[in-house]
Amino acid sequence: MKILGYFSIKRPDVVYETIDGETVIVNLENGVYYSLRNSGVDVWNLVEAGANLDELTDLIAGRYEASPEYIRKVIAELLTAFQQEGLVQVASTRQTISQAPPSPAAGAKLKFDPPIFEKYSDLQELLLLDPIHEVDEEGWPHKAEEDGAESGDQS
Amino acid sequence: MVIKASDLVEDESLAFFQLVYTNYKKAEHTIGGYQDRHFLIGGRPVRLRFAGNGLASALTPALAHLETAPAERPELTILAWDSASSNSALPSVLKRYFDSLGEWWDHLGRRGEIRELTNDRFRFAYHLGPNIFSGLDLQENLGLYWVQDASALPYYEIGSPLRTILHWWADGGDYQFVHAGAVGLESGGVLLVGRGGSGKSTTALAALDAGLLYASDDYCLIRTDPEPYVFSVYNTAKLRGEADVKRFAHLAAMVSNKSRLENDKALLFLNDHFPKQITRGFCLKAILLPVVTQGKETRLVATGAGAALTALAPSTLFQLPSAGSAAIKTMSRLAQRVPAYQLELGTDLANAASVIKDLLLGK
Repeated sequence: MKILGYFSIKRPDVVYETIDGETVIVNLENGVYYSLRNSGVDVWNLVEAGANLDELTDLIAGRYEASPEYIRKVIAELLTAFQQEGLVQVASTRQTISQAPPSPAAGAKLKFDPPIFEKYSDLQELLLLDPIHEVDEEGWPHKAEEDGAESGDQS
Repeated sequence: MVIKASDLVEDESLAFFQLVYTNYKKAEHTIGGYQDRHFLIGGRPVRLRFAGNGLASALTPALAHLETAPAERPELTILAWDSASSNSALPSVLKRYFDSLGEWWDHLGRRGEIRELTNDRFRFAYHLGPNIFSGLDLQENLGLYWVQDASALPYYEIGSPLRTILHWWADGGDYQFVHAGAVGLESGGVLLVGRGGSGKSTTALAALDAGLLYASDDYCLIRTDPEPYVFSVYNTAKLRGEADVKRFAHLAAMVSNKSRLENDKALLFLNDHFPKQITRGFCLKAILLPVVTQGKETRLVATGAGAALTALAPSTLFQLPSAGSAAIKTMSRLAQRVPAYQLELGTDLANAASVIKDLLLGK
């Protein structure tokens, strides 16, 4: 998995919105959606701004209390997951409009809470999906616990 | 003369729209006229023009509570016809194109969008299975809705008809079609959000039983500003399986599709039976996320706007062709404007309705 280079979000198939410290990410191409929380929200915002792994590490390490090595490892895992899930693409040059990712927040550093990235596949039956393109549900991110066993229903 | 690539794409979409439109005109000619019905959708006048009787009787019961006197200037006109009752076949080139979408459905977007013809002005979708064609010219505010045979329409299309065209037309700015139930009082109501099976329909029916106003059990139109508001679009209710038939035994006699229950959910048009409780809309006071529990009592637990958006946005986006970034932003604005609660549904459904009523009355 290539984690060098500049990331960008796969628009228009991937839509998202951050609200109340949580980013809701929806992949319109495969019917999977995600909840991203904690420092994962910062990572997503920086990916949106066009950062690469080095910049992401510097910016997140500037904001949170944890060793840059640990932060880099956690971010690399999250970026790999974003790629595996088809949410981002990587290029050798910066893809997005924002040329400079935002600077680290001034003042005291925050406690580093590792990203929480939950995946939901319970609505896939609502889309017209080609079975050979169905996503692999193994591995990280973990599949969130699903409530209500009924499916195939539109109401 | 310089022709830009974007003009060519629009021309092709326009030519396609005109081809389908010509088939509508042919149906109208064969039948010897049309029938107009007028409705207020999201408070705006919409004219449905039917060639043939097949679709008029199938599509209008769900909208009956919004029927209004003819408007001088409808803001949207939808031309609707089926080949069977209008006795007019599609031209062979169009029939072959629709057939090919069924065979090579990778040409369709995941929500049935006909991708190659969709652009800023035109929207097209083909709903495989029932094979429903929807088209909209956003410049002329003219919609086209075709099916082969109106008598073969699936129950969900009869329950929430024309929703693809209506969502394309109504969405934008502060307005958004959403997948949600809605019940309340004249002073305001709640949105019931969540995936199928989460308890939206059951909660909506329990609220109806308790005398509350009913606006929706699965699709409605919301507006975020100047204040959050819910517009009812369909007066439909559904009974889900035997459990609902037992719970709401008094409604069983009102089911409209009794002869098709083997494959369909039971549909009821509540405006026929509870006209005073069917509302055209109300101010939105809260978003509720129903969750079925084993306890007897129902209770509300405050939750965050993120949870409300997660329950509302994905199921809405996956069911509305072409909905995307603007739609999730509108839903996010809505979720930030009103409080959200998890509605932990107990087995005593009357209690669930009174919990909603107490919330709305500020008790």
